[in-house]
Amino acid sequence: MAPSPEFDQEEFVRALLDPDLPPPAGLKATHDLPPLRRFAVYRNNVVVGLIDALAERFPVCLRLVGEEFFRAMALRHVRRSLPRTPLLFEYGEDFAEFVAGFEPARSLPYLPDVASLEYAMGRACHAVDATPLPLDLVRSLPLERLEAATASFHPSTQVVPSDYPIVSIWRANMATDPPRSLTLDHAEDALVVRPRLDVEAHALPSGGSAFIETLMGGGAFGEAASAASRRAKDFDLTANLRMLLASEALTAINI
Amino acid sequence: MFEKKLGSAFMIAGAFAAALASVETAKAENADQEKCYGVALKGKNDCAAGPGTTCAGSASKNYQGSAWKYVAKGTCTAIVTPKGKGSLEPIAN
Repeated sequence: MAPSPEFDQEEFVRALLDPDLPPPAGLKATHDLPPLRRFAVYRNNVVVGLIDALAERFPVCLRLVGEEFFRAMALRHVRRSLPRTPLLFEYGEDFAEFVAGFEPARSLPYLPDVASLEYAMGRACHAVDATPLPLDLVRSLPLERLEAATASFHPSTQVVPSDYPIVSIWRANMATDPPRSLTLDHAEDALVVRPRLDVEAHALPSGGSAFIETLMGGGAFGEAASAASRRAKDFDLTANLRMLLASEALTAINI
Repeated sequence: MFEKKLGSAFMIAGAFAAALASVETAKAENADQEKCYGVALKGKNDCAAGPGTTCAGSASKNYQGSAWKYVAKGTCTAIVTPKGKGSLEPIAN
């Protein structure tokens, strides 16, 4: 059915997101309910659908604040930020930023970073598959040339920096047993990677984010180690290399 | 200088060899064990229509944003901040 001549798409969207506005002009209903009520149903479905999508996408944030708080917070976000692509798994890109500026959530300063971690994990889930670098190949590398070598990373690899223990918070809430008490006395930068089927979040050793970000930017191992030791006085090169190998975030070391 | 030594080929080769040995040992030890984390994400996001989205025609203004009055009631109470117990009081506005 062609839209009526007075149909205005922008007016339609405004009315869709604001229940206090009248339904758009020119609305007709072919069934029993009056247009106003049918539009209200549609408006409700759009918003509920997007809130549900955010709840699926940010399950730890939801557990942290509870269902009622989360859904009310998500509603505010939905009204401000509709999906920009038809791919629903990309929705929520700016949710962490929204949470950071959301006054009622300010007493939970780690919440935006937990949202960033969850979004990164969703991206990792949908990233292109790649084969992690096999340890057998690593063993045969000429180690004396590693300083000038660069690294190729699995497409799912992301670093999420935080001043809070976001990986511990995530694990405490995703485990089957009830979350134990957790103290916010240390920071954890997260390494997110999906080497095979499971998305994994690792807490990086000190200096780890500078180390990996330099490598991901195309810097050599020597450069990355210098950058990380400048950033963190207690940077431990062996611990960071161990994390890199154990997480299987690498697909190649280019010597 | 520490930084220069750290960046040297010798340091990196040594650290890498130690890291590789440690990963291989851990892998051998854990060969029969399951991972304790690494929960696979469920691919639920391809369809957001579900409970609560039926066209029952019952909900006209359920999701209007009235005055904010929600208090976080989740697991955040289990998290202790350096300044004391989790502060979950809603901010008056």
